[in-house]
Amino acid sequence: MTGPRILVVDDDPDIQDYFGFFLEDNGYLVKSAENADVALQMIEDFAPDVVLIDVMMPGRSGLDLLVTLRRHPRWSRTPVAMITGNDKVIEDDCRSYLGAHDNVRCPEAVLAKPVDRDTMLAVLGKLCSA
Amino acid sequence: MASTPDTKTDSVVQPATGGRYREYFEEMPCYLSVHDREFKIIDGNRRFRRDFGESIGEFCYRVYKGRDEVCPNCPVEATFDDGASHGSEQLLTTRAGRSMPVMVHTTPIKDEHGDVVAVMEMHTDIHEVKRLQDELERTHARLSQLFEEVPCFITVQGPDRVIRHANRKFRETFGIDAVGKTCFDMYKARDEQCLVCPSQATFESGISQHHEEVLIAANGDKLNAMCTTAPLKNAEGEVEAVMEMCVDITEMRELQDQLTSIGLLVGSISHGIKGLLTGLDGGIYMVNSGFEKDKPERVKKGWDMVQRNVGRIRSMVLDILYYAKDRELTVEDVDVAALVAETADQLRKKASDLDIDLEIAVADDVGTFPGDAQAMRAMLLNLLENSLDACRSDRQKDSHTIRFEARRAAPWMVIEVEDNGIGMDRETREKAFSLFFSSKGLKGTGLGLFISNKIVDKHGGDITVDSAPGRGTRFEIRLPLEAKPSVRPEGV
Repeated sequence: MTGPRILVVDDDPDIQDYFGFFLEDNGYLVKSAENADVALQMIEDFAPDVVLIDVMMPGRSGLDLLVTLRRHPRWSRTPVAMITGNDKVIEDDCRSYLGAHDNVRCPEAVLAKPVDRDTMLAVLGKLCSA
Repeated sequence: MASTPDTKTDSVVQPATGGRYREYFEEMPCYLSVHDREFKIIDGNRRFRRDFGESIGEFCYRVYKGRDEVCPNCPVEATFDDGASHGSEQLLTTRAGRSMPVMVHTTPIKDEHGDVVAVMEMHTDIHEVKRLQDELERTHARLSQLFEEVPCFITVQGPDRVIRHANRKFRETFGIDAVGKTCFDMYKARDEQCLVCPSQATFESGISQHHEEVLIAANGDKLNAMCTTAPLKNAEGEVEAVMEMCVDITEMRELQDQLTSIGLLVGSISHGIKGLLTGLDGGIYMVNSGFEKDKPERVKKGWDMVQRNVGRIRSMVLDILYYAKDRELTVEDVDVAALVAETADQLRKKASDLDIDLEIAVADDVGTFPGDAQAMRAMLLNLLENSLDACRSDRQKDSHTIRFEARRAAPWMVIEVEDNGIGMDRETREKAFSLFFSSKGLKGTGLGLFISNKIVDKHGGDITVDSAPGRGTRFEIRLPLEAKPSVRPEGV
């Protein structure tokens, strides 16, 4: 398969399955990680075009992973889409959290749960072609 | 009432002779009367005559008070006795029948040998003074009643923070022996002055201060209070004392906390529902696309997902109901072996679907304990479902096991739920029982463990958690074998 590569980071196995099947059905190549640490291992070999991160995860949060990626010598330019159940919170969190971390760049896109599939495809299409 | 002055007395005394002195005597703005040793009035000024009539020659006690004998503590008698002036307060009745409080002063009138031959009595009308005095007393009584009965805590403190006055509500709440003790001792059970002392600030600035405090009552209750200080100044304008008035706002705060909780609950629920919807949405997508592509495996996975999320919605609703309705325990003797078996049965299918072993270890003689079986089942189910989630989210191990154990260890019944799932880090462990804290992202409302803890607490027991990331989690619940008074079986 040669489609664009998406790394899904979500602690919920159901969501991993769902996004995996859905994105593969739409021509993407998908790998899933259940937490930030696994994602950071996977990213090296997988070299995704976009990283899709759930904000709320046990242990290191999605924002924490975002900061790590932004500071990463190799992955700092990789587009990140974050998924959240509360888009207001992520805006506020983002500003204060990222502000406290040398103002790292905000995620390229934010998708609200429950994720609208068409929106998701549109966002990912745009990020992959950028 | 015509009467002739006693000629003997008249010849000796000759009061206020000389035109001008007589005039002074007559015009004095008070009652002046001259009395002989028999208490007969031998002279009186105009005002006296106006209000008491032409009573020369009559007994003073009759004229002034309508009495038939000498008044007790008669100042005239005293002056005759010792030749000195005397004064006292008296109540006179005028000829017109009006009562009149007066200040009486007597002064001796002496002959050339220095013997007291008559006594002059001066009565000053203190009716107005008396009225003001009475009013002052009434006002004072009213004020002190107000001070006593105001439904808040009032103290008056000196510059040394020592309480000089305390009202009834304060004394009833913080101790009857408040006066003489320091405010920080009485209000907060402290040995030294508070870091921020509004009373001191008011002493220094003369300005009222407002602040919210947590006070500790004599019975150990913590009270939220809104406190205001006010300077009490002396005539020179210096702050002599500070009055502190504290209004108990504990109920308001509790209400506010409840409102905050409800706000959090609503946020948490809507958050949770979005997560569950995503799961349902995903399941439906997988079922649909599985049918379209003729992939039964995908259909099955999707259908499981739908079922799982419907189950989560159900338990979320139950949690919310339990939280919303703080129901009383229905206590009976709970057969622990049956309780464990029933609860495990409810989870068995889910566990085997996820390929998780469910190990039950219950001693034969485990017996019963006094408790609410329904609440216990809900609590254990909650813990077991947490364990299932923890195992399902863990990909590091090949196999997962949940151990469900009950044993008797007097004075406790001990129930353990242990898993080798993902485990919790320190922060998660410490916040595990907090309301609305969830480690499950969108899937949790943060109610489950909070409610579990509440149920165990109501039984007089405790619940502890031992966990480490990657290793797994063990919950240990201890329930008393002897019922606390509050959980006695019904009807006992």
